[in-house]
Amino acid sequence: MIKTENYIIDILQLHEYGMAIGQSLDYKESCDLFIKLLLKRKHLNAAWILEKKENVYQSTYSIPLGDKIAIDVAQVNGITQNLIESKIFYDDHSIASVSPIKLDGGATAIFDLKGEGFLFLYSKKNNISEKDLSQLRPVINKFSVNLKACKAFNEQQKLLHSLEVQNQELSDYAHMVSHDLKSPLRSIDTLTTWLQEDYASKLDSAGKKQITSIRNSVEKMDTLISGILEYSTIGKTKITSYPVDVNVLLKDIISLIQVPAHISIEIEDLPIVQGDKYRLQQLFQNLLSNALAYNDKKEGKIQVGVKDLGAFWEFFVKDNGKGISDHYFKKIFKVFEKLENNDTSTGIGLSIVKKIVEMYQGQIWLESEETKGTTFYFTLKK
Amino acid sequence: MLITTTDTNEIIDAISAHVKDNAVLISIGEHTDIDLMDFVNQLKESGLQFMGGMFPKVIHGNSVLEKGIVINTLNNLENLFLVENISSTNYTIPAIHFEEDQEYSLFTYVDGLTSNISNYLSKLYEHYGMQTNYFGGGAGSLTLEQMPCVFCNEGLFQDAAVVGVMKMASRIGVRHGWTKVGGPFIVTKAEGNVIKEINWKNPFDVYKEVVEEHSGLTFTDENFFNIAKGYPFGILKEDAECVVRDPLMVTENGELVCVGELEDNMLVDILNGDKESLVLAARQATQESIDSAVAPRKAIIIDCISRILFLEENFDLELNAITQTIKEKFPDVSIGGALTLGEISSYGEGFLEFYNKTVVVGLFE
Repeated sequence: MIKTENYIIDILQLHEYGMAIGQSLDYKESCDLFIKLLLKRKHLNAAWILEKKENVYQSTYSIPLGDKIAIDVAQVNGITQNLIESKIFYDDHSIASVSPIKLDGGATAIFDLKGEGFLFLYSKKNNISEKDLSQLRPVINKFSVNLKACKAFNEQQKLLHSLEVQNQELSDYAHMVSHDLKSPLRSIDTLTTWLQEDYASKLDSAGKKQITSIRNSVEKMDTLISGILEYSTIGKTKITSYPVDVNVLLKDIISLIQVPAHISIEIEDLPIVQGDKYRLQQLFQNLLSNALAYNDKKEGKIQVGVKDLGAFWEFFVKDNGKGISDHYFKKIFKVFEKLENNDTSTGIGLSIVKKIVEMYQGQIWLESEETKGTTFYFTLKK
Repeated sequence: MLITTTDTNEIIDAISAHVKDNAVLISIGEHTDIDLMDFVNQLKESGLQFMGGMFPKVIHGNSVLEKGIVINTLNNLENLFLVENISSTNYTIPAIHFEEDQEYSLFTYVDGLTSNISNYLSKLYEHYGMQTNYFGGGAGSLTLEQMPCVFCNEGLFQDAAVVGVMKMASRIGVRHGWTKVGGPFIVTKAEGNVIKEINWKNPFDVYKEVVEEHSGLTFTDENFFNIAKGYPFGILKEDAECVVRDPLMVTENGELVCVGELEDNMLVDILNGDKESLVLAARQATQESIDSAVAPRKAIIIDCISRILFLEENFDLELNAITQTIKEKFPDVSIGGALTLGEISSYGEGFLEFYNKTVVVGLFE
């Protein structure tokens, strides 16, 4: 009866140890939760983890806090070479030499943490037995997996932080450059305007033409800088979402842009989507402007439609324009990539479109055949 | 030394005369007729180095007193410091240089009614480990209303601990004498000092079933503590007495509010004791400390206030068992201490824990 009860207690104790593992993805906190529990319940005095880093073993965790140690690999290998998962050492001086804590005789159990180093459990009063080893092995294996997860999480966090910093730096840089570039542009524009007005009688037609060219270039440069600013802003501020009627939105866009008489735009019945009106307008307006700009047909035709995919809306903007070689399918969504040297194109419109779509957790892609036309598809999360 | 006068100047003169150039440990009974804040301010001005606490009762020799001040000299004090904001866990433990081959004793009084005391003890052990013995208890009022109750040269504080580290050998015995009557059970949900679930069930239902069957008594709306004071929980430890947690009250939802913290998935038994087992445990704890002591100068007893609430007039038997066992071997040793809200020690120099319903006897060389 007592034996059965002891078995039950052992199993329940394992349950407690097992439940203490995996509650955190922070390395030290994970070690604290599990190892301090072991120390309390098993009445142990100390514990530490040695892990190989470069050419030495270092202590990555220690309770009590010990000295920082760097131990020769050969020295640790000498202790762990015949270790099959775990082993107990009694009053062994070699253990004291690999401990960050001062030991005084006693027993030390070593567990192989399967690539995460070695865990040492120390009892001053020798109260560690072979039974403890076999009882603890499965939970310590689980603990090794937890440590691995902690490290992966830590790496991911570092990476994310580094990306956030870089992103912020890029954004700040874009703002700074844009601001600094716009200022001399405004001066050039003002000066050329004055030149055009004040010296109108003195300039011949070639001179006037050149000044107009300068002003056109200035305007293009201004549009490009605004595009860069716009691009760097998307996704940086909190996304606001509210119902937007895409039918109304497209009517507004068409009234804003100049649609040549030879191009017709056919719009299906479109849904009400959740999003920010300004961003959605940028998205559709950029696609429509592209479809208009690259249409070389006598009877240009643009169609806008939608398909309900359940969790997403799939929109398309189809034209019968020049078409795009499949070589450029991915390239065109990159900043400053443009297919032809067009005075009005900045090469940033489709990058903005892609960023807006991704902001709404959607995807964008295209189908195209040269000389026949292009269809842009994109999804928006409902 | 016991001081019974309520004139703070006289108290300070008596302390100065007793401890001379040493620091002093002061334990004050909560009903002592002095203004604690004024007293601490006067102590600060006296030039004495001090640490102390206010307790439900204090012990001097064979007497338990609600009023009175028990003082102990802190010889060879190395470091005395204050740790504030225990409940927030946001504090640092100062580094101390421990010399090799030198025995140290750490004494701490902590606000016994604050939260996260286990974390504080864990941090102490994390920093000082096996380089010192640990000894102490929880201060506060028996009303269980949290108030400023620990003090040192920096002032009077609540939610804090005072710590003294001495170059001094000590021998410590820890026992409680409560034995299992039901369990093991899993505390499937706990928050701080509240048990919210046992074995995935309402904790009071589980507790009530075991206790009513064993005691032959029935819980009513009014008698929870009267029965529960004899049926604490015990957190299982291997090769050592379990760590006791004292159920104090039951909430409307059947949650059990205890003294001391519990954690999810802890294994607990329900315990019971009687005057014989408790007195025997007190004697064993004393014997444990005596067995390894060589020439102690003083004995400090940290005994849980809930043991006196359980033993009532029989508490004299427990105190006599302790004092007689000490006097038999060391007749000249002075004996003092306090009845505390939780006890602090490391069982056999192991990891540091906060106990309830336990007696800790320390002999200081």
